Amino acid sequence: MRSGIFLQTIIGGIGIGSLYALIALGYSMVYRSMGLVNFAQGSIYMVGTYFGIIWYAGIVMGLHVPYPVALIIGILLNAMLGVLLERIFRPLAKLDLMFMLLGTIGLGFVLDNLFVIIFGAEGFAVTSPLPNAPLVVFGIRILPQMLLLIGGSALLMLGLQVFLKRTRSGKAMRASAMDNEIASTMGIPVNRMNALTLAIGSGLAAAAGILAAPIVYVNPAMGSAVGLKGFAAAILGGLGSIPGAIVGGLVFGVLEAVSAGYISSSYTRGIAFLIMVVVLMVKPSGLVGEVTVEKV
Amino acid sequence: MSNQAAVLTRKKLSIAKAAAITVLGCALLAFPFIAQNRYQVHVINTAGIYILISLGLNIAMGYAGQFNLAMGALWGVGAYTAAILNTRFGIPFWLNLPAAMVAAGLMGAIVGLPSFKVRSHYLAIVTIGLGEVINIILVNQQGLTGGADGIARIQMPSFLGIPINTDERYYYLILAVVLLGFFVARQILKHRIGRSFRAIRDDYQAAKAMGVNIAYYQILAFVISAAYAGAAGALFAHLNTYISPDIFEFSSTLFIMTVTMVGGMGSLAGSIVGGLALPILQEYLRVIKNWQLVAYGIAIMVVVLFIPGGVIQLMRRLRGSRVFRRFLADRYAEERFQPEETNVSGN
Repeated sequence: MRSGIFLQTIIGGIGIGSLYALIALGYSMVYRSMGLVNFAQGSIYMVGTYFGIIWYAGIVMGLHVPYPVALIIGILLNAMLGVLLERIFRPLAKLDLMFMLLGTIGLGFVLDNLFVIIFGAEGFAVTSPLPNAPLVVFGIRILPQMLLLIGGSALLMLGLQVFLKRTRSGKAMRASAMDNEIASTMGIPVNRMNALTLAIGSGLAAAAGILAAPIVYVNPAMGSAVGLKGFAAAILGGLGSIPGAIVGGLVFGVLEAVSAGYISSSYTRGIAFLIMVVVLMVKPSGLVGEVTVEKV
Repeated sequence: MSNQAAVLTRKKLSIAKAAAITVLGCALLAFPFIAQNRYQVHVINTAGIYILISLGLNIAMGYAGQFNLAMGALWGVGAYTAAILNTRFGIPFWLNLPAAMVAAGLMGAIVGLPSFKVRSHYLAIVTIGLGEVINIILVNQQGLTGGADGIARIQMPSFLGIPINTDERYYYLILAVVLLGFFVARQILKHRIGRSFRAIRDDYQAAKAMGVNIAYYQILAFVISAAYAGAAGALFAHLNTYISPDIFEFSSTLFIMTVTMVGGMGSLAGSIVGGLALPILQEYLRVIKNWQLVAYGIAIMVVVLFIPGGVIQLMRRLRGSRVFRRFLADRYAEERFQPEETNVSGN
């Protein structure tokens, strides 16, 4: 029985970890292609969640579109936001880390508070499109929505890998991330590739938010904590590395769940951060020690 | 242009400077009497506390290049040290102030330890993480810190039997500490420590090669910045008589960073400008209610994108601009501004 509870904790951790992983991907991809640490990622995640969930939960004109449609609308709208953001980030990416930090935080501030004005500071709970009763398999109780979150995230990550490795645009994106000057002499439109990167990062964040919405509580402040943890996950895995972001997110989520379940629920956040600090001290390049691109 | 005229002009300028300092000093001393109401004094008191923390952040980040993003939490350590010593043991403010600085300084040394191993954004997230850990400890050690409820009924200080129990009286206390903090920071940065800090910031490998003890100075930067935060914490706790952990969350670090960068990172005067400007700006933005924070965020982005050196850099640039030079030249017709003259001659 104890092992059952342990497994249940692990699965919960993987669920919330895949949320972190999708956010971390946004950080890592943008860092890799633009050399920019985007601290507005948490707010972009919040905005993406709203972009999708408002159609599903009847916030706009009492509409209740089917959940998959809302998911797609949310991803597309947030991807468009990402393209717009490239214009703001282009000058920011040339500045020092300090200024990037503050500039993107300022942007996050604007987004957060715009959504407070539009939708109010109080959030709302979202009902899951799947049955609410937990599935019981071998004595392990899992929410169907949790499975949807894990499965959906896995599919998205797989899709991202295929896109980056197999398609023309994906290859162009990787090339421009590797060396944007050479890529641009080869005729790759670097700015457009950066816009595409931001669009994908924002779309993934929206997907994460909409998939997790029935589990977490939706409100305009939801982005700050998740954004910070997503960044910690990206660093934990090795900033700029795509497998690193995924591994980092999952490890961070599982660590959090295990420390909440077995050590102390009030110290959860602290323990996860402490472990991240320790990992960085031992291995500053992150868990997945891929050679990261050093942007100057 | 004759040499004599230049000397005269310089004398005139220095007289103007002295006059300006006198006027400024009088204005600073008279402020509680000029202020229209007690609330304005309170806003300025809070601004003074932010200036103090911002000076600390400026030393660590602007001069030594060390990301200390646990400043909010270290401020909290100072405030809690003072609050606990005062409410539990009845220790007065004057002893709590150094105690808070020592406690925060020690914690700052711990936060700074990872700087041996990691730099730039890695150091940023590590210090953010350690700051979060400190904040979580403040929330959860209920026996010591009162948990989320915080600590109330902290006594206000008294000086030679005079109780410092109003915002107007407290203003002079904060003014004294801020001025002291400013001049101490200036002295620190002027000499050996300051040179080492700048060397580490600009190129730590070169600094190392030149024999600068990097580890020592990096930790020192963290300790000094934390001590400033600690002093600000003690002032804050005794001013408001009530503290709770949510004040010292990560958002407070962001606010302090904004203050410092809007004023000018790497310039102590910038901390003062930013520390005064932002709390006052916030008060004025209250008129537009909900849009206040949006406007605030946009203001931050505008500063970062268009004047990354902050207000201080803007002022310097203005002073170097042709319009301003002509303005000066008209004022002091004897001396035309010819900056090249002195440089070219002998060398």
